[in-house]
Amino acid sequence: MKLRKYVVTTVALFALLSMSLAACGSNGSNGNSAAADGTLVVGADQEPDCLDWLATCSGASWGTYAALVTTLPQPYETYASDSDSGAYVYAPTGLLAGEATVAPGSQQIITYKLNPAAVWSDGVAITSADFKYTFDQIMSGEDIYDTTGYANVESVATPDPQTVVVSFKDSYAGWKGLFSGGYGVLPSHLLEGKNRNAIMKDGYSFSGGPWKLDGGKSGWEKGVSITLVPNENYWGTKPSIKKVVFRFITDTSAQFQAFKAGEVDFLYPQPQPDWFPAVKGGIEGATIKATADTSSVEALWLNNSKPPFDNESVRKAIAYSLDRDAIVKRLFGPLGVNKAWQSFNPPIVAAYADPAGFSGYTLDLAKVAELMTSQGYAKGSDGYWARDGVKASFTLKTTVGNKRRELTAQILQAAFKTAGFEMKIKTEDAGVLFGESGPTGDYEMALYAQVATGPEPGNCSIFCSVNIPTEANGNSGNNWTRTNVSGLDDLLQALDVEIGNAKRIEISKQADLLIGLSATSIPLDPLPNTVIYRNSVRGPVADNATMGPFWNMNLWTLKG
Amino acid sequence: MIQFLGRRLFYSIVVLLLASIVAFVGTRIAFDPTARLSQVRDKEVRERERERLGLDKPIAVQYAKWVGDFAQGDMGTSEVTRQPVATMLGSGLSYTMQLMLWAVILSIIAAIAIGVYSAVRQYSAGDYIFTTVSFIGISIPPFWFAFIAIQFFVFQLTAWLNLSRPIFYFVGLHSTGASGFNIDYLQHLFLPVLVLTVQNIAGWSRYQRASMLDTLNSDYIRTARAKGVPRRQVITRHALRNALIPVVTVMALDIGLLFGGLVITEQIFSIPGMGRIFVQAITNGDAAVLTSWTVVAAFFVLLFNLIADLAYGWLDPRVRIA
Repeated sequence: MKLRKYVVTTVALFALLSMSLAACGSNGSNGNSAAADGTLVVGADQEPDCLDWLATCSGASWGTYAALVTTLPQPYETYASDSDSGAYVYAPTGLLAGEATVAPGSQQIITYKLNPAAVWSDGVAITSADFKYTFDQIMSGEDIYDTTGYANVESVATPDPQTVVVSFKDSYAGWKGLFSGGYGVLPSHLLEGKNRNAIMKDGYSFSGGPWKLDGGKSGWEKGVSITLVPNENYWGTKPSIKKVVFRFITDTSAQFQAFKAGEVDFLYPQPQPDWFPAVKGGIEGATIKATADTSSVEALWLNNSKPPFDNESVRKAIAYSLDRDAIVKRLFGPLGVNKAWQSFNPPIVAAYADPAGFSGYTLDLAKVAELMTSQGYAKGSDGYWARDGVKASFTLKTTVGNKRRELTAQILQAAFKTAGFEMKIKTEDAGVLFGESGPTGDYEMALYAQVATGPEPGNCSIFCSVNIPTEANGNSGNNWTRTNVSGLDDLLQALDVEIGNAKRIEISKQADLLIGLSATSIPLDPLPNTVIYRNSVRGPVADNATMGPFWNMNLWTLKG
Repeated sequence: MIQFLGRRLFYSIVVLLLASIVAFVGTRIAFDPTARLSQVRDKEVRERERERLGLDKPIAVQYAKWVGDFAQGDMGTSEVTRQPVATMLGSGLSYTMQLMLWAVILSIIAAIAIGVYSAVRQYSAGDYIFTTVSFIGISIPPFWFAFIAIQFFVFQLTAWLNLSRPIFYFVGLHSTGASGFNIDYLQHLFLPVLVLTVQNIAGWSRYQRASMLDTLNSDYIRTARAKGVPRRQVITRHALRNALIPVVTVMALDIGLLFGGLVITEQIFSIPGMGRIFVQAITNGDAAVLTSWTVVAAFFVLLFNLIADLAYGWLDPRVRIA
């Protein structure tokens, strides 16, 4: 009996010892230094659904950040041109020999000149045929995610391998986003005549960017990680990091624990209050950069077709019920974001936004009383406004499981109660909120973010009356707030086709003012982005609001 | 016995069919598979997708097609990832089973040992300690215990032993670039298995203790002792076998449920098993995955019920005769 006890104890101690030895002596990539073996491990919030960037399954942001902008060539990239204003601009990438030219005349014709040095990972030149192939796939392929802008194109001509001429039948102001943003140029010599989706959806071996998937399809281990290695044939600055692994860690708390334990070296987490204290206190050996200059605007979306928000005065009273700066400070103060955003154009297009439309809406209960009484409302003994026996009551819908939004809803509920409005909270699955409640108008107030895909102003899709979902159009418009403001359609539609930037700024600001004055909905905050990385990661590391933080990863190094 | 087994098998198939109807209709009512396309600016995409998925047909027709395909091993294609659902669930099951295998083996051994010890040494110091620890184990929410375990085994232990890196890890089942059964695997496996094991041991050992106490107080055990059968032999050969019968039922049901129920553990430890597939499918409104997932989870519950029935027969000859 004693002998057995000794054996068991010895085995247990031996196992613990061998594990300790493995921990001390292993050369794996779990160490506290990202530079241990030249591998950078990134904790990714989200796993992409597929890597066929043209297909409807490619909507996940992390797919774009990790594998699109790193492997596919794009003619234009976006970056923050002005750190003070936060405004983003398009700039030609190394794929182009210079800025694309816009031909004079009434028809919009864009000519791209390609860099002759640009080649795919197999050494074949990137040519105009690749642009033509990509365009043809977008316009005639099956299950295409988005044809906006491409549908305005009349033809894509290829007079020579280094020249692409895009002629528009209808002008399109956001032309620099074509073949860029959520798409990229595809290699026609590898895909022409084949099933693009089958070749790309689970990962692909080709690359026209600084990185490629490690081993092609095997670079994406489903449920676990995406691994990138340098594209040895990249014509620009080649990466110095040997390998980048995006590990899928969907739980925010687990991400931070993994970072502290040295299992990951880089985080780009969703802004959630539970990790703000950790960031505020700092993390030893790590750099934290938070920015409010992002492409997202979190807002209170009001259904303008449903009581009580079908009444403009009530909408304005709602806006005067809130101290939005205080709410933003409460939510994002630890990240240094203390001011409400005053436009539906996000910070990356700040130049096109006019804050005057909304900045006048500050907490003013006297103004609330004035607006409500002017509409025949009176406060009841319960402290709520009521008219004809009907209480000023509404339900706020937001996405389930989002702690930040749940906290925001609770803050709003208290503020509205003080102002005399009864607000109930209902959380819904994102698919239900964005797939059913929004399009069918089955809500009164909703809390979610609008995300811009590029530095383009304009909100016609969400505020033009022609885009109000109706049964006639199969509830397919995106104007879920049912906004119908006189003169707004003309301005927003003009903005989408106007090419002159000065004129665009003027039109956009007029539209912003109109939206603010009618309080169709209420912007709250720019959702801040945060990058957290080990100090061993060096180089121009910063958030890019539209392309993600890994767009210039070929310029990063790891300190040994 | 064969008749008994055949009857149970028939009932299981009927229940599985009913479960598949509930799962199919439920997911069709709760989720619009094209909802995620509502924000796609190309309006025709959604209509095309509805036609492609056959959503324009009556629900009975949709179900008949689905169940026919399912019976032939074709679970359809995920509306989100475009991957075959069978491949996704197969991959998820392979991860979940790795956790299950270790957790169940360790839990069974420990729970039976603790249960028997507590019953045989009733009201001893050891019994009180195990009882207290078991109640704590039952009361602790798994997510809380998981984070406490991570904090202790990853951070505190590393600090106390002054190691350059932790002994145990908690992201996935392998380090970046590692694979196979090795020390790295065990270092990753330890914490999720610990979280699962603690809850199982806590619950199962209580059942084992209660069942063992009942058996130890029965007449035939007293008779065996009176006839001079050694105490150890009475416990292991006479009492334990009978005491296992009710415990096996609980274990089988719990194991069956675990196949679909590792949601929290897999989420916290970033393991792409069945639980995480379920969470992602719910979040994305992936009806094709949810329907098949529910049927597969139901299949395992029924399978382990069947295994429990077989175990009865093995443990108790009266069941075989009946």
